[in-house]
Amino acid sequence: MLKPEDILRAIAAARGDAICVPTMTTAPAWRTLAPDDLSVTCVGFMGGASSLGLGLALARPDRRVIVFDGDGSLLMQLGSLATIAGAQARNLTHLVFKNGVYHTSGAQGIPGGLTVDFVLMAKGAGYRNHPPLHETRDKDGATRRNSCVGRRPEVRRQADQAAGAASRSHATRARDHRARGPGEALPAGHA
Amino acid sequence: MPDSIPASLIIDTLKDTFREARAWLAAEVAEPPRHAHLGWILSVPDTHQRTVLAALDKEAVLRVLTCATEDEATTIAAGLWMGGEPCVLMIQHAGLYASVNTLRGVAIDGRVPAFYMIGLLSREKDKDPRESHHSMVRYCEPLLDTFGVPHARLEGPDDVHLIPEYFRLARERRGAAAVLVGLETI
Repeated sequence: MLKPEDILRAIAAARGDAICVPTMTTAPAWRTLAPDDLSVTCVGFMGGASSLGLGLALARPDRRVIVFDGDGSLLMQLGSLATIAGAQARNLTHLVFKNGVYHTSGAQGIPGGLTVDFVLMAKGAGYRNHPPLHETRDKDGATRRNSCVGRRPEVRRQADQAAGAASRSHATRARDHRARGPGEALPAGHA
Repeated sequence: MPDSIPASLIIDTLKDTFREARAWLAAEVAEPPRHAHLGWILSVPDTHQRTVLAALDKEAVLRVLTCATEDEATTIAAGLWMGGEPCVLMIQHAGLYASVNTLRGVAIDGRVPAFYMIGLLSREKDKDPRESHHSMVRYCEPLLDTFGVPHARLEGPDDVHLIPEYFRLARERRGAAAVLVGLETI
């Protein structure tokens, strides 16, 4: 199972000059990992991270923008998926951390819980790429992760082929076998 | 008596407003972005200003982004401003009511300039908006007052000078400012 901190650490190492937009659960951890002026934290208007990132991406097409959204946050502004797709900002990566709960308010479940398929929603809205991100294991047991960060994002599709045991237990309950375990990250894709 | 404003007059005024904003940004931003356009119109379609929105479709130097909600529009405006891009939000009063928390969080607490053109849909020509039969018309100015947002009415073609004035005011006070479009544009 991927932890948010693992994902953030990987992004911090690979972000280059990307502008990052953390919100809610990821905000404090990101500030610790990357305490610089290339991050814009979305606080005080839950659900706004994706739109804030879109505005930045449209203003600065020369820079990559990475949004660290939450599943509960995205549900508050779900229409932003269509707005982002329609704007066709090719320098925006929308990363959704899917844990099925409102973590900061006491871990109450989000509507639909882990069965909500954000990848499918992003695809339906018109996102160009919409890869799920999760941990995989090679035959020798070594851990690998698919990557979505960088100037020219690369996504390793083999990540779809094998998930960890925790993820599989959730997947059996999901209607489309895409639900992820707590703390996993799910990049809804590059708009 | 209020009068309708031609779309072409509003669009010309917006162009001038953005030209002025570009000049400020060139002086204030270390590396201002270079774009072919003058600025952005973020809209959630408004019946009251539909002739302007229709005419904007033919304008190459004004970028129009239709948003699903006014919350999105306000937050996208924040991102554009941080990136050095000027923009105007074109919404209607109902959209203002729907997005007050974002207005509070972004423009008031976040101190982000946000300039709104708000259509007073269903405003009666012979009534002051505060005396309208329609609550959506009647509550607009009191709501803006409650949030401390300066506002002015566009009651006819002679009032379009208020567009650059209140746009400038939003920037100077680092917050929201609004003009209310009194009658449907033509």
